[in-house]
Amino acid sequence: MAMSKDPVKPSEALLKKTTDLMHDGMDARAFGEFEMPPALGDARWTDELILSTWHMAATGKVPDNLNYKTGLSNGGFDRLDFKMLNEDQWLEHSEDIDTSISLNRRGDERHNPTPPIPIYGGGMSYGSVSVNVMLARAKNAQKWNTFMSTGEGGYPEQLYECKEHVITQVATGYFGVEERSIQAAPIVEFKYAQGAKPGLGGHLLASKAGEEVAKMRGSVPFVSLFSPFPFHSTYSVEDHSKHIDWIQTVNPDALISVKVSTPHDVDMVAVGSYYAGAHIIHLDGGFGGTGAAPEIAKKNIAMPIELAIPKVHKFLIKEGIRDNVTLIASGGIRTADDIAKAIALGADGVVLGTSDLVAMGCTRCSNCEGGPSGRGCPWGLTTTDIELQEWIQQEWAVKRLDNYYTALQWRLREILRQLGLGDVKDLVGRTDLLKYVRGDA
Amino acid sequence: MGNDGNQVTLTKEEFARQSRILADSYHRYHIDAMETPDRQALPNNFIVKVGKIGLAKMITSEIFHYWGKWDVVFSRPCTYGVFSGPIGGFSPRPEMCVGCLRCTVQHPEFVTVLPNPARAALGDSYLSSKLISTIDDEARKGTVPVRGQGYRGRFGGPGWDGMFTDMSEIVRPSRDGIHGRELISTVVDIGSKPMSLKFDSNGELVNEGPKMMSIQVPFVFDSPDGNIMTKKLATIWKTAAEQIDTLAMLPAELVTTNSLASRAVVPILSTNDAANAGSFGNGTRMVELDSWDNAAFETAKASNHDLQIGIRLPFESGWQSKLTEMVQAGVPVIHFVANNHGEDNEGNFIMDLLMEAHNMLLESGTRDKVTFLNSGGIVAADHLPKSIICGLDAVGLDLPLFIAMQARLSGDTASRSGYKLKLPRKCDDKWATQRIVNLSASWRDQLLEILGAMGVREVRRLRGEMGRAMWCAHLEAEAFSEIEGFLGGDE
Repeated sequence: MAMSKDPVKPSEALLKKTTDLMHDGMDARAFGEFEMPPALGDARWTDELILSTWHMAATGKVPDNLNYKTGLSNGGFDRLDFKMLNEDQWLEHSEDIDTSISLNRRGDERHNPTPPIPIYGGGMSYGSVSVNVMLARAKNAQKWNTFMSTGEGGYPEQLYECKEHVITQVATGYFGVEERSIQAAPIVEFKYAQGAKPGLGGHLLASKAGEEVAKMRGSVPFVSLFSPFPFHSTYSVEDHSKHIDWIQTVNPDALISVKVSTPHDVDMVAVGSYYAGAHIIHLDGGFGGTGAAPEIAKKNIAMPIELAIPKVHKFLIKEGIRDNVTLIASGGIRTADDIAKAIALGADGVVLGTSDLVAMGCTRCSNCEGGPSGRGCPWGLTTTDIELQEWIQQEWAVKRLDNYYTALQWRLREILRQLGLGDVKDLVGRTDLLKYVRGDA
Repeated sequence: MGNDGNQVTLTKEEFARQSRILADSYHRYHIDAMETPDRQALPNNFIVKVGKIGLAKMITSEIFHYWGKWDVVFSRPCTYGVFSGPIGGFSPRPEMCVGCLRCTVQHPEFVTVLPNPARAALGDSYLSSKLISTIDDEARKGTVPVRGQGYRGRFGGPGWDGMFTDMSEIVRPSRDGIHGRELISTVVDIGSKPMSLKFDSNGELVNEGPKMMSIQVPFVFDSPDGNIMTKKLATIWKTAAEQIDTLAMLPAELVTTNSLASRAVVPILSTNDAANAGSFGNGTRMVELDSWDNAAFETAKASNHDLQIGIRLPFESGWQSKLTEMVQAGVPVIHFVANNHGEDNEGNFIMDLLMEAHNMLLESGTRDKVTFLNSGGIVAADHLPKSIICGLDAVGLDLPLFIAMQARLSGDTASRSGYKLKLPRKCDDKWATQRIVNLSASWRDQLLEILGAMGVREVRRLRGEMGRAMWCAHLEAEAFSEIEGFLGGDE
């Protein structure tokens, strides 16, 4: 049901009042000044996980009295725990515990970024989120010397100030793909599929394809924009190799990331991608996804990321190429504990999307595609509505993300030191350091 | 062939003209969905509580503080209109609340949003409140439910939740259209085909060829047991089945007394009435017998050789031997029946039962001789492709149709006959038919999503394709077997 009054950009006074109330309210909720909101959370993102993320985003520290480690999904990460050493064997918590990873393990001539955390930001397109959100994530990536992906919606001009930290995504609709944005990119990400809607392509609803969004995508306003599936230029892994040659011609120094979903043969897809020239194999499991997706696709198509990581990791080892490629996991990574578990299962690092949004205030109400108002996210995150997008103020949002990543790194170091490991790279594939917790987790 | 059966030679012009007529008559199958508002809305998802004193204080303070800045004074922490009634937050409108919780975050001191227990209490342990909400939404809009922010439920789960369908990164059913799924067929064949054709020395066919009929979707509308079906319900199901070109399976007595016979109606007869199988007329293509009795089957067959004969086979102890007998006797359509929770009388789930039945016939080399249907336990769009993967040709729907019509169920809802239903007061036939058509459109479109992701071009090819499925338990065993404490199975 659309509201009768057309939204307008908020006045300074309204902006201040609304954002002050939002920010104060988030803190009050996160610090336990009020009862837990009874309608908050679900099995995967519990009320405590959401509020603990808000707490970390506000303070840079993990909370004392909220479960910030696991959800209640009764499987996967929520059933795994670490076999920590006895306390007398723990390492000191220090910045010497290395949490950096290498993104180019092929040993070729191209650059080798080594972000200090095993995390970068997943693709959320301009249109699915506002430019304020994109820029906040890019600035946070810059601050952390890591990356964030454009998603498939083009490369807004404002992002060029952070271009060394922005991954250009090339996806099946080629929306917004330009020579300039390929040349600017340290990493080019081919999105073959995405976990939330594997094999289904993308769909930006007409209500979210406003003037600027449509211009960026080379379309007309307020027309539904479909991103087909799959690449119509790809019939085989050899065709994928041609894609990579094309990028190399335009930008010889860019690393190539291949983002795929998690079907039964994901292990072979990964090997094929490596031999086609990929530096990064990015597996996207079915439980994540920030944009709108058919409900039937979210859980029923392809496998959860927890089950795909070890499958691919083991197969890459078997093929003798594991040390030559970076394996990145996404799609349902919520916490620092999830990150460490994903790495112990065989990933080198992870990509975050939803948790970035939660850090900026998302309550996971699921109305990203517009909801009954037709305007998108009421928090100003997944919307380009002229009024709502203003609720995300960049300075505040960058600080939230910075704090959140600080807390993630702290907790990651805490896990490593309790396992007696001085380097996150030593955790890769160490399933012997995990235990399966029976019963309701 | 001419009307008299003799070969007719057409001129080129006539052949071209007839071909053109044939080509012009082609239309791509489509279900006409139409927004069809609720007649008996479900309880609201949320309860919104606003402290009146707190609200009054805030308004007073804001009027004073923001005097003249009326956009600020009159701003609301809700984009959905919960606080936009004539007296704003003093009388919130919870029916508009989507649970974004912005109000309760901005004003934690006097606004609370709670899940509505009346909504959560809908349904039972199998047909949950969430599934009822989803069906209701599908029947209202006729579209694929789309939401943001990922999956919200359990990791795997019992029954159908423990199964994932596969997808392909590259293979598509077609490169035509936006996604290729525009050309996927959901037609299924009902009936029997011989395992081979036999010819005499003159090249003439000597055994019976395929005897099948096609429906456009792999689901039929099936009647529950007992006296739940009424003339009104039967008429609605028949009309909806005709609109989407599927079948409505209705008690024979209702069909006869209300003149409901049609090519879309399948009368269900008791074995005692098998001799009446050929009596319905008006294009009736198929009848079902309510249980297995070889003599009754032969009687029904003899009554009209052109009829498809289906036999209902409850999943009860000894169903395997009855299945074997039925296949040997040449029954073309076997319609399994589980309870509403998809279980046999020992609590075994249909996912395993259907795979067992399908594999039994594969091993005996007879699977293509029969069509498998199943009723009971199919209550969500994802259950449809999953049950077909387990070996079904098509499924029978009953409870989801009642939910689409906004009926309230009470009593023993696990049983196929032990519950009562109450329809909305204003449940006219046109409205109810469109709700069922909408549900059908939504489920078919969701089936297309699954088939498109797999790269499968027609649903007939999905039958028994267990390689297209991944079972959570198997994947966990593969992924976690080296991890201390992992036992596998349900633990």
